[in-house]
Amino acid sequence: MTQQVVFDAPKKRALPIAGQATLDIDAELAKFEADERARLGLEKEEHWVEDMANLMFTKSEKSKITLLIGGLTMAQDYLIGASFTHLGYSTVNLDVPNEDALRVGKEFGNRGQCNPTYFTVGNLVKALITLRDEKGMSTKDIIDKYVFLTAGACGPCRFGMYVTEYRKALRDAGFDGFRVMLFQQQGGLSQASGEESGLELNPKFFIGLLKGLIAGDVLNGIGYRLRPFEVEPGATDKAMEQAKKNCHDALLNGKSILKALHRSKKLFDAVKVDRTMVKPKTAIIGEFWAMTTEGAGNYALQRFLEQEGSEADIQFVSAWLLYNVWELRHDTKNRATLRSEDKGKQSLAGAGEYGVFTRQIGLWAADKAIRAGFQVYAHAAGFYGYHLPDMDAIADMAAPYYNNDLRGGEGHMEVGKLIVNVAKNKANMTLSVKPFGCMPSSGVSDGVQSLITEKFPGTIFCAVETSGDGAVNFYSRVQMYLFKAKQAAQAEFDKALEETGVTVEQVKQYLAENPKYAHALHHPEHRAGSTSADTIYEVAERINTTRTQRAVRTTKRFLQGAKAAFSKAIVGAPETARTTAAFTQQGAKELLDIAKEQGPGLAQKGLEAAKSKAAQVLPFKRESAEVRKAS
Amino acid sequence: MAAFEGELVIGMDVGSTTVKAVVVHPETKQILWNDYQRHHTKQPEKVLELLEAIHAAFPDQPKDKWRMFATGSGSGPICAPTGAKFVQEVNSVTLAVEHLHPDVLSVIELGGQDAKIIMFKEDSNTGQKTASTSMNDKCASGTGATIDKCMIKVGAEPGFATSLRFDDSKLHHVAAKCGVFAETDIVNLVKTGIPKDEVLNSLADAIVLQNLSVLTRGNTLKARVLLLGGPNTYLPFLQDCWRQRIPETWRDRGYDYPKDIPLEDLIFVPKNAELYAAFGAATYGMAEGGDAGKLLPIESLNHFISHGRRARLGEQAGPPLSAHANETHEFTDTYKIPKFKPATFTPGQVVRGVIGLDGGSTSSKAVLIDEEGEILVKAYQLSKGNPIQDTKDLLASIQDHLTSQGATLECLGFGATGYAADVLEETVLADCNIVETVAHMMSAVHFFGDIDVICDIGGQDIKVLFMKNGDIQNFKLSNSCSAGNGMLLQAMADQFGIPVTEYAENAFKAELAPKFSYGCAVFLDTDRVNFQKEGYQKEELLAGLAQVLPKNVWQYVVQIPRLASLGRKFVLQGGTQYNLAAVKAQVDYIKQRVPGAEVFVHPHTGEAGAIGAAIETLRRYKRSGKSRFIGIQPTLDLMFKTKNDEETVCHFCPNECKRTFIDTQRPDGSTSRYISGFSCEKGTVESKDAMLALVKERKATAAQFPNIVDYEANRAFERFYAPEPLPAPGTIIEDVRVTKGIFRIKRETYRRPFERSSEEAAKRRKSIRIGMPRVLNMYTTAPFFRTYFETLGIGRSNVVFSDQTTEDLFVEGGKYGSVDPCYPSKVVQAHIHNLLFHKHEPERKRQLDYLFFPILTHVPSFVLDTQDNTSCPIVAGTPDVIKSAFTKEVDFFAERGIEYLDPALSFAEPMLMAKRMFETFGKRLGVTEDESDHACRQGQKALALFDQDLQDKGRAILETVEDEDRIAILVLNRPYHADPGMNHGIPEEFQVLGYPILSIRSIPRDREYLDRYFKEELENGTIKNPLELNHIWPENYSANSAQKVWAANFAAHHPNVAVLDLSSFKCGHDAPTYGMIDQILQTSKTPAAALHDLDANKPGGSIKIRVKTYAHSLRLQQERLEDVAGRKRDLSHAIDKKRLELLKLKQQQLAATQSQDPEIARSIEELAEKVTRYETKVPVQVEQPKGIVRLGRKATDGKIVPVQSNQSAQQVAPPPAE
Repeated sequence: MTQQVVFDAPKKRALPIAGQATLDIDAELAKFEADERARLGLEKEEHWVEDMANLMFTKSEKSKITLLIGGLTMAQDYLIGASFTHLGYSTVNLDVPNEDALRVGKEFGNRGQCNPTYFTVGNLVKALITLRDEKGMSTKDIIDKYVFLTAGACGPCRFGMYVTEYRKALRDAGFDGFRVMLFQQQGGLSQASGEESGLELNPKFFIGLLKGLIAGDVLNGIGYRLRPFEVEPGATDKAMEQAKKNCHDALLNGKSILKALHRSKKLFDAVKVDRTMVKPKTAIIGEFWAMTTEGAGNYALQRFLEQEGSEADIQFVSAWLLYNVWELRHDTKNRATLRSEDKGKQSLAGAGEYGVFTRQIGLWAADKAIRAGFQVYAHAAGFYGYHLPDMDAIADMAAPYYNNDLRGGEGHMEVGKLIVNVAKNKANMTLSVKPFGCMPSSGVSDGVQSLITEKFPGTIFCAVETSGDGAVNFYSRVQMYLFKAKQAAQAEFDKALEETGVTVEQVKQYLAENPKYAHALHHPEHRAGSTSADTIYEVAERINTTRTQRAVRTTKRFLQGAKAAFSKAIVGAPETARTTAAFTQQGAKELLDIAKEQGPGLAQKGLEAAKSKAAQVLPFKRESAEVRKAS
Repeated sequence: MAAFEGELVIGMDVGSTTVKAVVVHPETKQILWNDYQRHHTKQPEKVLELLEAIHAAFPDQPKDKWRMFATGSGSGPICAPTGAKFVQEVNSVTLAVEHLHPDVLSVIELGGQDAKIIMFKEDSNTGQKTASTSMNDKCASGTGATIDKCMIKVGAEPGFATSLRFDDSKLHHVAAKCGVFAETDIVNLVKTGIPKDEVLNSLADAIVLQNLSVLTRGNTLKARVLLLGGPNTYLPFLQDCWRQRIPETWRDRGYDYPKDIPLEDLIFVPKNAELYAAFGAATYGMAEGGDAGKLLPIESLNHFISHGRRARLGEQAGPPLSAHANETHEFTDTYKIPKFKPATFTPGQVVRGVIGLDGGSTSSKAVLIDEEGEILVKAYQLSKGNPIQDTKDLLASIQDHLTSQGATLECLGFGATGYAADVLEETVLADCNIVETVAHMMSAVHFFGDIDVICDIGGQDIKVLFMKNGDIQNFKLSNSCSAGNGMLLQAMADQFGIPVTEYAENAFKAELAPKFSYGCAVFLDTDRVNFQKEGYQKEELLAGLAQVLPKNVWQYVVQIPRLASLGRKFVLQGGTQYNLAAVKAQVDYIKQRVPGAEVFVHPHTGEAGAIGAAIETLRRYKRSGKSRFIGIQPTLDLMFKTKNDEETVCHFCPNECKRTFIDTQRPDGSTSRYISGFSCEKGTVESKDAMLALVKERKATAAQFPNIVDYEANRAFERFYAPEPLPAPGTIIEDVRVTKGIFRIKRETYRRPFERSSEEAAKRRKSIRIGMPRVLNMYTTAPFFRTYFETLGIGRSNVVFSDQTTEDLFVEGGKYGSVDPCYPSKVVQAHIHNLLFHKHEPERKRQLDYLFFPILTHVPSFVLDTQDNTSCPIVAGTPDVIKSAFTKEVDFFAERGIEYLDPALSFAEPMLMAKRMFETFGKRLGVTEDESDHACRQGQKALALFDQDLQDKGRAILETVEDEDRIAILVLNRPYHADPGMNHGIPEEFQVLGYPILSIRSIPRDREYLDRYFKEELENGTIKNPLELNHIWPENYSANSAQKVWAANFAAHHPNVAVLDLSSFKCGHDAPTYGMIDQILQTSKTPAAALHDLDANKPGGSIKIRVKTYAHSLRLQQERLEDVAGRKRDLSHAIDKKRLELLKLKQQQLAATQSQDPEIARSIEELAEKVTRYETKVPVQVEQPKGIVRLGRKATDGKIVPVQSNQSAQQVAPPPAE
């Protein structure tokens, strides 16, 4: 081939005239390359880029956007929806995921997902398909007008990646560009578009969310406590419907939720119950979604247990929040005194000299705030005698078997809760429910639980997987263990009667004469695994003793307690005094040092640090790596 | 028992196949009456029949004086209409055993659909016996059903199985964790000619071991052991197997069992074993008081049978296959496959033609085609278990067809495909041996020309081929988990006692259909049982099952929800297409999703493979005019002998594969031996010399086509770095003093002398031995730990790793588990066993002092913008699971004086990790924190070196293949798939085809190398660094997943990289990435093959078909690559020349304005030189890659000359003909 470029023929080209644009080599070359590629048939390489991540809606869009909400218990979705509506968002609650949701999830999802993902993803896609195919909305309208809002999952198990599944399923179902928004994504949004996000994650938002969550927990708690013992079937559900509506309306109109709960208390108290029916108590633990959902996702497990004659002791979303706080506390404590900071996600990178202190204070406050909030709501609604679990105690009990640093799912909590249930006789049976092949639960917890059941003989522990299909086998497995639990509950009940020397008839008569103890919301003190045995102990004590005797005994107990505390205080006083003095002294010295070093700007700084840390403790606001990097 | 005065108690056990009933006297507990009947899925009717029989047997008993307690998986719906009370079956059995055999401590019941184990434990405090029970996981369900199906597969005549005894001398690998896996393995064994007694024994052994390793949840089954359930009762070889394997666990675990009692009594099957559940249910009932289980009048059940059942189904059910009869007729008319009429011949006619044979999984087919490609004769038969015998039968059948008409056949050639092809190529010298996918493609193209998608559904496999320009562009094959769908339709028809040919007729009658959700055959069968219980009729079940088939194909196997993107012309083939119900479901599914779709059914749907083989044979014959086939008569006269004994065991590696030799003698006296049943190439030879020659040849290939995956797997556990010694005492170092106050934590830097531990401590360390399992993320972190210990003075040989995973290792040590996760995690127990029982040798003064298996919560990752770098929760948590498993009944560590250490470590936080390492080992090894920290730094250094070495090698390979327009295969996997026991040597299969193998970690990561491939994204600002991933996948918490996805993206950017994607069964972390990796690779059109759901057993058949099909696509890709590379070179040259032209023009412009630019002058000079070089074709020198690379020869100047095309590699694997 000869040279195409003829160097010695410049005359053929008109030379540029001064002032005319000079030659742009790059532009010419680009054009040449494009022409040449086309001529040679060289396709342009194409590469996949995810364009559906971090989608948002702007403030100007807010008025035409409807938020779709779903994923927790029915009560909670309903109440949170009301909270958000009050904040000016238009909201729609998704249905509880059913078998159709599972089928849609499986059609558009990846193979081998866990079923919470299939159910929740399928539920959203199903809702959109209904809008499109049954309500006749155009896909564009659906994408423009609806946004799905959910809490961002993070962490090592498959569920942490479920947003990936949302995108895949939405895209494959023809909803390319549909917005799934996570609470945690907020940081990057305004930077990306230059316009402010329409979803304002301000304190009002989180308070609204928390109100819905905790009120939902309390209502659920009461429902599961009452239903097994109701005399007139359906009475609890009827009261519950009204109670939920009360709370919903209060949240919707910005009225006091406490008042609404208080009004609902009367409804519950009107339900007639008979707690002398022997019903084994089944503590439900396991994977978070599988144990909290109330539909096909766990074959309506809670209702099934009730039908089978058991009382279901459920886990609360509030406890999950406490676990989140505990994780941060544990991680902070472990890293506080390292000689230098690491860069990992759990590290204290950038916390500075005071970071540990402010973080710990913030986390302590968050823990207390959740507990206090829960107790206030519980008291208002009449959910008495319940204490959210002590996270440290659970962690300590589990630690020898399940390392506290292992995360994913419920982490060490499943193991810890089983030990607590057994050691403290909290239930007759513990049922651990998890999706088929759940990594932290089926793959790790169950392996460790086999050691626990060996260490604590007599434990009735039923681990059962849900796959969305094959309900018969699932129920059969539960029944297998429930049989033993029933026997245990009966034995416990008989033992209570024998020990206290009363008969069931006597107890019933007493309750008829003393309605205070027969009221729906009355909660007998914990002595045994089942509520029925607790009732016997409580009533028998009152039958067997006179008021004076009881008064004397109560006083005695109080005095004993006081004495013990006092003597401990006396004996320990010198030590306590020394420690306190040293503590105060050191604190004062430290403050003085700090003041000397840092000068007057310190107070302001401290305040800011505390503020920002307090905001962090809410689980939804755990900084993503991205946000942290940006800051 | 006042409540039951004058009453009798019925125990009714409604199982998945039978109904058992007993009548018990409530006081004496005597069984007064019993019966046992198969229900043929008509449970209520059978119960009714039995109740009537009972009433007839007790005419004096008043009708209202009966109680009934029902148990069994099918008893739910009959409770309400009979008034019976439901008793869960395990509880029933427990009660029966407690009552009848108070001395039994373990019960194993194998049912049709599930397996149960009951263990009675004595509470040492109370002396009370409590029963702990477990049922199998969904995946392993259907044990009894699986045995039944396998009996059919092996062709066991009645009475064979019930007289067979167990013999463990000839066992083969069968996966019992899942019915479909087991069936696939059984089919493969049958195909390779293993005798049926060995096959059944292998199945029994696999079932027993699976139950012992999983269902016991790691507990020891204590004596006496009671065997219950159909299979246990009727199959003596299964009983024998329990009697052999259970005592083995007793001995292993030091359980002191009564040795004076014969084994037959310790592990026994009671009389009337089948009645236990029914009797237990009655026993349960007798403990119930009140009105429990009062039997309702029989009319109530009658009414239920005739009316009640169907009322509630309407709402949940889906639409039927056809809305009305017209639709059915219309469809049947369009799609009915025309009946094949064999050609007729005239007496004395000589018919010239070729024969194609397809040895399929369940049936074998052959066709005779003439020289024009017309099909003359077809032959079909269900496989009888030996491929040679099947071939003989088929050929005889074809020959008979001709001779019966007085014609003779002149066979011009013979070609084979399918399972039997290899053995036929060897024994009858078949002209061609092509992989099924290619055969199917050829046959479809022959009939339909330009098509887009071929979907072939056979008995076991689903194959979907995506076509472009008349050749396979991509393909998807069902894996073990999605296999067996065709068989399922057949099995379903069998269940209802209708011939499969009448399937469609029945299914079209249904007016509604239950909605099955897609999944594996075992899950579907469970669904089927449930639906049946709900009251669906057989027509409806058949319709529902047909409707799930397309979902299984397109959603489960193909995973491309937008069907329309694949094209418009679909061809359906495979035996299943004879079933028009399945075809209707497919056509409806496709047409709903693809506008304007054309769906064709192959006219010879069952013989598509055989036709493909025939067409290819004909093509070859026409080209060469000759055939090597020994001929029909010689084939019919072929003598053959199958041998599978001690002598055929391969001893060339520790796998000890139990091979099968098929020795054939042809009529001309020549012999050949076909060897099957080996897991690596070494098994293909018989003598040591032949083996050595093979090994040598392989080594030569390996040297030229390195397999980095394999290299990485070995290197990670070797010593390759001599750590820097501990600093001398007193060496001044910089440290940070941490003062923890109430409000703040102060850190100050200061200098101080290095602290050393005592001489005695150092001396003591020399004799300490530390064992670590060679598993999971140790594959990425082992160099750190080895170096840490060596730095501190632990002897090099005292840092001990368990052996590489082999099947034997797993079989020996896999019985401790209580959970059933992915194989990589499950195999860990066997490694711990290996350390405890083989590496711990106190008698030789080689004791293990510590067994170190850290919980690695976070692992190193090179991806820059990840959300976190976590390990998979199962992988991270396994050390704690292992601790539980090995300390539960017996503390195996304490018994041996070994301390088990599993601290939580995070490679994302080196400071925290150093602290934990010191906390763990400071006192135990007697080292100071300074020493431990130093060792940690050395460990990190070793890791970095390890990484660099891999990258250097990877770079050498990549640059070479790029330079030579060849292809390298990047294995996308999790690090532990480098373990040959995990990847089953799959990368090696490609290596011997001449493709170098890259691992994820061997991809060079320096920007100087990477930027060129990510140029566009870097320029348009999508990314700032090629090691970013958020633009592809923001939810990248898991380190290994993120690296895998990143590597897929790299492959997408590199023209010379193809992908082999490996993933384990039940891998929860790979699942979310399947779709994404597909997207990435499809967008860039990167060739990729995936083998998902890998498990303990090597999926031989599945590997082979993939490797062969993929090799076909890779060859096409290679051609494209060469083509494109040529054009790219042209483009690059043209651009250079154009640039030169423009630069010169610019220079002239400048000259016109009296100015000049030295930079331009220099560029012109450089470019002119380059352009001249093109013209004179001066070869470009390849820069020497860094690192130790054995790729090509080293030139005298030290530079590496890239290797030329490799002849020997091509010889190793002759390409399948096209």
